[in-house]
Amino acid sequence: MGLLTKEIERAPCTVEISHKFESLHAHVRFNNGAVIYPGDEVQVHGGEIMAPFGEIVSEDREATIIRASKLERLWTRLTGDFEIMELCEFSFSEEVTL
Amino acid sequence: MNVQNTPEKYEGKHTADATTVEEGLAIQEEQAKYDDDFATETAMSNTLLTPRFYTTDFDELDAIDVSPVRGEWDRLIAQMEADPNKGHFKKNDDWDTVDWENMEPQLKKEFIDFLISSCTAEFSGCVLYKEMKRRGNNEDITRLFQLMARDEARHAGFINDALREAGLRVNLGFLTQKKKYTYFRPKFIYYATYLSEKIGYARYITIFRHLQENPQHRFHPIFKWFEEWCNDEFSHGEAFALLMKTDPKLTKGKNVLWIKFFLTAVYSTMYVRDHQRPAFHKALGVDPDWYAHEVFTKTSKLSEQIFPITLDIEHPRWQPGLEKMQKANADLAQAKEDGRFFAKLGAQARAVSAFVSLLLIPAKKHQVPAQTRLEPAY
Repeated sequence: MGLLTKEIERAPCTVEISHKFESLHAHVRFNNGAVIYPGDEVQVHGGEIMAPFGEIVSEDREATIIRASKLERLWTRLTGDFEIMELCEFSFSEEVTL
Repeated sequence: MNVQNTPEKYEGKHTADATTVEEGLAIQEEQAKYDDDFATETAMSNTLLTPRFYTTDFDELDAIDVSPVRGEWDRLIAQMEADPNKGHFKKNDDWDTVDWENMEPQLKKEFIDFLISSCTAEFSGCVLYKEMKRRGNNEDITRLFQLMARDEARHAGFINDALREAGLRVNLGFLTQKKKYTYFRPKFIYYATYLSEKIGYARYITIFRHLQENPQHRFHPIFKWFEEWCNDEFSHGEAFALLMKTDPKLTKGKNVLWIKFFLTAVYSTMYVRDHQRPAFHKALGVDPDWYAHEVFTKTSKLSEQIFPITLDIEHPRWQPGLEKMQKANADLAQAKEDGRFFAKLGAQARAVSAFVSLLLIPAKKHQVPAQTRLEPAY
């Protein structure tokens, strides 16, 4: 990992989408044990995966992981905290008027 | 592609396969029925969920040792595993028909904003908790996050169903978009999610109790489910309280300043956002100022279980500070829309100064009890 250079790797992954009444969730799992670090970008290839209502869809795909440079990783670790309020739930969007 | 619960697809013959005219017409008719259903489905407006993706210090999470709170911890996990709310999130006869057509347009907009924001929040919580579950190696921690992810996904599914009734379809297509992972320190996740879960409990239970007394204001059946729903939020908050209890440093020294910052930020953001949805609160018959005060009082009382300070919400500068912040925020949006640079700058400065003024109100200090766990009592 260079100070300023990004590395790109590809990883097989499984995308699971549940569009059921009992559970609405979606996850991406890397099948080669790839680990995501702060500042990395992930792109799952292929078209949109749509699960019809009432179903769980699980699909094997390929993903590209664009690794953050050393500097970017450090920067994300230092500044990521500023966005922490996103974790809070306020029932409404931040739009002032609708 | 692996589809579970195979859907009802039209798998009949194509008209080209028909051997007689009658058969061809019959096939066409079948196909048209399927196309109709499909059209109804796709005609629903698409709402793209846009959760964020986070990483944290997973080694630090693995290093958590819950032995100092083992008894309370095990009881909480056992209660969550028993899953008393499992059968709750089902639609039954209490789910009245909603007259979306005749709902006042502004109320409809604000209520849909409520449903979508809540669904996204539950969904993001689920993504975050699941990630923590998957990356962790500490069995106590991974079990907790698995249970919380389950609850959030269940809530999201329930809200999604209400959205479908309103003709809105969530789109989970974000998964194939490029996304960047940001980073939060574990302690910030504890402070923010603990408060978010507890304030969520206080918000839901306050509305639930208000509507018990004033059922004429219940304009949608989803509010009837708020009681059990917020009990889930309550136990998630309990779990974060216990996590913080395992490391006394988290609630001492300069971390107390962080706690004060989070309390002020969460309370004031809630105040501002609620005041931006007047039609929603009017329909519920709730004065947003009264509501904010109720919710802050309950949240402060609850947070005494772990935080050594609470905000002085009776202080003479508190309410005016919130009002200034809300005004500045509204002016800021207006200035942005009009493209007035200096007005925007001025509004930003007023918002920051109002926030700092709220932050500088001396906090109330108190002794944190030895036993952390609470039961929902409001």
